[in-house]
Order: sequence, then structure tokens, then C-alpha cells
Amino acid sequence: MITPHVDTHHAPALEVAGLSSGYAGAVVVREVSLAIGAGEILAVLGKNGMGKSTLLKAMMGFLPKMAGSVTIAGTAATRLSPHRVARLGVGYVAQEKALFQDLTVEENLKLAVRGPDFAAALAEVEASFPFLLQRLKQRAGTLSGGEQKMLLMARSLATGARLLLVDEITEGLQPSVIDRLAGVIRSARERHGTTMLLVEQHLPFALAVADRWAVLDRGEIAEAGASSEPDARARVLKHLSV
Amino acid sequence: MTESRRLSLILAAAVLALAAIFAGPYVLDTYSVNVLTRSLLYAAVALTVDLLWGYLGILTFGQSVFFACGAYAAGLVFTHMDFTPGNAALALALGIGAAVFTAAIVGWLAFWHGASALYASVITLVLPIVATQLLYSGGTFTGSSSGLSGFTSFDLSTEAWFWLAGSFLVAMTTLAYIFVQSDAGRLLVAVRENEQRCKYLGLNTSRLKIRVYLACAVIGAVAGYIYAAYAMVVAPELAGFVFGTELVIWTALGGRGTLLGPVFGALIVDYESAQLSGNFPFIWQLIIGTVFVLVIVAFPRGLLPMVFDLPRRLLGLVRPRGDVARPARVALATLATLDAAQTQGAEVGNGPALAVTGVAKRFGSLTVLDGIDFKARAGELVSLVGPNGAGKTTLMRCIADGAERSAGTIIVNGHDIGSRPPEACVAFGVGRKFQMANVFETLTVAECLQIARARHARPSLWRRANILPLPEAAMHVIATTGLDRQLSTPAHLLSHGLKQALELSMVLALEPRVLLLDEPTAGLTKTERMQIGAILIDLTKKQGLCVLLVEHDLDFVREISSRVIVLHQGRIVLDGSVEEVVASELVKQVYAGSGHAGIAHETAPKTGGQEVPA
Repeated sequence: MITPHVDTHHAPALEVAGLSSGYAGAVVVREVSLAIGAGEILAVLGKNGMGKSTLLKAMMGFLPKMAGSVTIAGTAATRLSPHRVARLGVGYVAQEKALFQDLTVEENLKLAVRGPDFAAALAEVEASFPFLLQRLKQRAGTLSGGEQKMLLMARSLATGARLLLVDEITEGLQPSVIDRLAGVIRSARERHGTTMLLVEQHLPFALAVADRWAVLDRGEIAEAGASSEPDARARVLKHLSV
Repeated sequence: MTESRRLSLILAAAVLALAAIFAGPYVLDTYSVNVLTRSLLYAAVALTVDLLWGYLGILTFGQSVFFACGAYAAGLVFTHMDFTPGNAALALALGIGAAVFTAAIVGWLAFWHGASALYASVITLVLPIVATQLLYSGGTFTGSSSGLSGFTSFDLSTEAWFWLAGSFLVAMTTLAYIFVQSDAGRLLVAVRENEQRCKYLGLNTSRLKIRVYLACAVIGAVAGYIYAAYAMVVAPELAGFVFGTELVIWTALGGRGTLLGPVFGALIVDYESAQLSGNFPFIWQLIIGTVFVLVIVAFPRGLLPMVFDLPRRLLGLVRPRGDVARPARVALATLATLDAAQTQGAEVGNGPALAVTGVAKRFGSLTVLDGIDFKARAGELVSLVGPNGAGKTTLMRCIADGAERSAGTIIVNGHDIGSRPPEACVAFGVGRKFQMANVFETLTVAECLQIARARHARPSLWRRANILPLPEAAMHVIATTGLDRQLSTPAHLLSHGLKQALELSMVLALEPRVLLLDEPTAGLTKTERMQIGAILIDLTKKQGLCVLLVEHDLDFVREISSRVIVLHQGRIVLDGSVEEVVASELVKQVYAGSGHAGIAHETAPKTGGQEVPA
């Protein structure tokens, strides 16, 4: 069990207890327990096919839960459908097919920001990836792969979600953008206290941005620790090499 | 199960079905035998709807027209000429000929390169409407709205017609069943699933669709011919849109993509309709309609899948993951390594493997690529780097599909690609891996790889191969990433990184000479990346491939490239050796970050947390 470090008197932003999930006939995530305090960032690492993306999909309610519970800021979310989970203030940044390809950049943002204050959302986009403001009328499908990832991140931050579940956002991004992204994420946390769970392959990025890390191995949490510990990198790498 | 055992089982089932057909007239009353003879022939047409819709993904409303081709050929010949054995054969030939002719025209219109699936459906919808109008306007020749009747036909008993229709249906169903399970049959599903990937694996999907469509037209025509010879009456409704749509409904009701489902769907609904219309002449259509809605709501996949699912539902068990890794039906084997000169498609000559001259790409007023010129030799590994949005993926797309660029020429292994489609570029030696993993989601890993090899080894129409020979490089990627332990896993269950690896192996299975890789290692761990890097180096140095690689990990680029091209705002801004490019000020400014250490350094240490056991 991973417990939150930023110990507030409130309920943790996310609490997962004994969660098992998977696809028809296959248990991919096995009895995973973790908790993230409000404003905390947890990086979930691990080799391919170890259940990282499945864990996120199960928490969001896209996959059935075979056992266990999910609690979001004190509210039971185990049996909620994805749109209800989202209404609890959870933003899910999926790895594939997450944008409306035929809608413009602006329409993609408008659909995600449901409140009346679109100007504030645009200000948030300006703070993260300002180039998007020049491309508001462009169809999202015509953005390059990396630009789509940036729009995706900007969109989730602009929604004002309290908890972000982010699946491999650094994939396909150029190194300087990854640097910028690290800054964007830290700044979002400082300004809004956003809690985040980052599924990552990019180890330096993950350890730089997250407060804590956990390694998933065959659907179970194999090891966990704080990013600030000097041996964190070595301990994670031990699990990643074959 | 061995291949011969599988085929014997199918044949045994067919023999049982034939026995049931033979027994039919002895246990059924004459009225039922009469009705069922018609239903059996309709079922054969429903079978073709399932092949096209359930397997190939083409929703067709026009199969009635092919049935009418056969039926009207018999009706017209027997009415306007004498009934002789010679004329009977002539009528059959005319019926099949008319169906093939119609199907060829419709197929060409509906499945040409670039036509959408919706377009095909609309054309098949128009077809029966046009055909009915033609029959109406045929005057006394076609009998107009009342059709043709009273012609002489084969002198067979009611039982004999039943046996003939039944045997025809059993034979067609058996052949179709063997076909869809064969290696060639898997191609149908692959085309339905992801036609784009099929084209980029060098498969001419339009031709495949037209061939299947022609075969289905022939089956429909023969069924129609038997129907007319038996019923001795033909009417324009046989070609109609209503009958065409009923065929689709029976297919959906029985369970599309199962072959047997639509056959039973057609038999049951047509037979029951006949019974009900006798007993409840005013409300029978309402009854049929209600049942149809109920079945579709309760069992959206149709009746047959529901019957097969029942035991699983009742047991309701979730198997642990270990059970998913069933023993694979196919064993992989390594193809004998060939020298670069021997390798297929290696008519390289002395020219460059890839020559790009003056290539531009514009979307309206937006210029994405402009004046791109470069040449790459066999044995070179050229990395394409540049900021997000610089046009790297667009350039890859222009090289792999002749219709993509707005200006310029591209020559691959001495062939000008002109405006040729992707499958023609593959034939010149191009292999493209997409940025987002692009595989056949419902097929297993082994099936995906088999389809990638279909261009080299023509798949059998009735057998399933149990050995799949793959080139060494593909085998390396499979072994490195552990895909060989998941050969029977459907691709949609693979993790993102494994999907990437699967697509890379599929592209390598093509044995390309010019390999286009768009972020091939995204989603893989550092260790796996380095192993794949080694495989790529091997491919270029030993087998003389020309590799063009888009990659963001500069360490990886430095490790494996022989040359780097930097793209910025749609133009080539640098082209040189790895050292020159990576050290250049420009790359540092527009591209590279502060480095990994940089990110780590910026981060203030977090409040001291202790380790908590998992």
C-alpha cells in the first residue's frame, strides 16, 4: 500500500484499495492499492504490458473492476461510469485517440471546458503551450503527433480538473518540449494544487516531476519510493531492464 | 488440432447436414418442403451477404440483383426459346455471365482506390432500384411488373428440387466456411479491420474486394437460376430493394460474421413468414417486426453468437491471465538470410535507394513541406529530427504514397512512384511504420504477422499454415520484446509499446529496401529501445537497407544514425554527420532541451518522504 505523504486532514485526492481489473478472461491489474494526497504527483513506471494503462482505465470506469475500490476525494467512485468519474473533477489524458480529430483546436478546448469562463481556459493554455492560441482554427487532426500531445495536455489543464490521470504524455515530444512540460506541470500544481498520476516511460522526466514513484510489475506494485531519494533512479531501473 | 483433422471435422459436419437434407421430405409435409426449397435458396444468398458484410465489412443491399440475374436468365430463355438441355446450360451461362458483368461494374465503381465504405453501400442500394426499373420497362420481353410464368422447366419431383437446393446450400456453406477460416479468409477480416494498413503491407485491397464480390455474385446467380427452374415463375421483386434488405436483416438476426447464423436466420424467418402469413394474414408482418426488434435489442450480435455464448454466460467465470496465453496455432520460423543482392526487390542498381527532389506539400494555403531535396543510399540510416510540427511525418507519408505530395518527384530503387497508391510503393520496396501503432486490433499477433507476409507467400484459400517463416530482423524484434510468448493474443489486448513492436515486425516482415520508421520505439523502455537500435544497425550495415527514422531521443539518434537531416518549418535546414548536427547551435536552439540532467536539476527536492513498502 502506498500512502500519501502530503498529509492533509482531508481525505486523499485518490485512494485505490485492492483493485483488480482487466479484459474479458484476463486479469491485468492485481490488487493494487495506492493513495495520493491532494496536490501530490505520483509517477507509475514499469515495463510494457505490466498494466499501467489498464490501471488508469479501470480507475476511470472504462474497464470493469473485478475487486477493490476507488475513492476520489472521499467520494466512492468504484461503480461510477466514466462521465460521472469525470464530473468528480478527474481529467483523463489518454494515450491514444484522445482528441476530436475533425474538430478545431478551439472546439476541442470548448468541449472539455464545460463552464462559461472560456477566457480563463485560454489564459491557462497561454501559460502552458501558447503556440496553440495561433492555431485555434486549425483542425486538430492536422496537428503533428507531438503538437496533438501538447494540445491534449493543455486541454486537460484548462478544464480545472482536481485530479489528472496522465498516460505517457512525453511520447513523441521533442526534448525541449519535455523540459517545458515539466515546468508546466509543476506550475499547475503550484497554482491550482492539482493532483496527478503520471504513467511514464521517460524516467528522468518522471523522477523530476513526481514526488513519489511506484513500479508496476505484472499488474502488481513491485516497489515504491520518493523521487528525492538518491537511489531512486537505480531502484526503478532494476525493474525496467530485462 | 491438426489441419487435416480440422478439415475432416468440417466435412463430417457437411455430410451430417446433407443427411438431414435427404431426410427432409420424409419427415416434412409437402407444403413445408415447397416453402423450404425457396428458403434454402434464399439462405445461399444470405450467405453471400454475410461474406461481404460480416467478413469484408461491406454492407450490401444489392445481392438480390444477382439472384434475379440467374432467375431471369432462366425465365427469359425458357419463355422465348424452347426448353432443351442445351438451352438450359445456355441460360445458366447467361445468368452467371450477367451477374459477373454487373458485379464487375459495381465492384469497380464501389471499391476503386479511395472509395469509402459508405459509398459502396450507396451504390449497392441504387443497384436493385435500377435493376427493377429495367425489368419494369422490358415490356413483353421481361413481362414487366407481372414477370414471366408458364414456361417449361426441368421435370423434377418436389423432393428432388428440395434435395438440389439443400445440397447447393450445404456445398456453398461448407466452401465458404473453409474459406473464411483459411489464411486467405483472414485477409478479409484484415481488410475490414484496417484497410489502410493492408495497403501499406502491399496488398491490393480493391482487387481482393472485387474478387470476393464476383464470387458472391456467381453464388447468387446460381441460386436464382435454381429458384426459377423450380418455381417456374420470375417477378421483378426478386431483383428488388425489399428482398435485398431482407437478406441483410436475416444476416443481422442470425449473427453476422458467423456464416451459419445468416443461413439459419434466412431459413427460419422465411419459413416462419410463410407459415404466419397463412395463419395471420393481417398481422404477421407486425409479429416478425417485433421479434426482430426484440432480438436486436437483447442480442445485438445475433442469435447464433448468443447460443454459443450461453454456456460461457451461465458459468460466468473470468479466467486468470495465464489462460490467455494459449498455445499458438502457428509456429514462427526464421527465413534463410539472404545477401543484400539476393533479397527480393533488390534491383537497386547504382542509383540511390531513395531520391527526393523538390517535394512540397500544401494543405490549401498552409505549406507543410517546401523544396525538400535529398538522396539516401542503401546502407544508410538517416535520422530525421526537428521540432514537433516540422513536417517529418508528412515527408514519410509523401514517400510511401504517391498521391500525397503537391509537387516534386520521389524515386525509390530507381522507380518513380508518380501518383501510385501505397501498395505500389510497397512493391518498389518501401515499408512504412506509422507514428501511432497501426495493427489489426481484433486479429491475433500471429495473424497480424501472417497478413504482413501475404504479399510474399500467397495465402491458401482453404488451408491454414502452421509454420510462419519470417525474416531474421522481424524475428529479432519479436524475441526482444517477448511478443513470441503472446502469439495467440488479440492485438487490442497488447500494451501500447508491444503494439509498436508488433507493427515494426510486420513492416520488417515485408523485407523492405527503404524503411520508413516514425518513432518506432515510442512507448518502449530504454533497454528495449537499445536492442531495437542494434537490430536497425544490423539491417543497414549487413543487409544494406536504407532506413529513414523519425526520432526524438537524441541519444538514440546519436547511437545508431549514419547521417542526420534536420527539418524545421517544412524545410531542410541541416544535413550532415551525427556530430555536426547534434553539436550545431541551431539544433540546440530549436530542438534539444536542457538535457535530462537539466530537468532533474531544476526540481527542488521534495519534502522528505520515507519509503513505504508496496
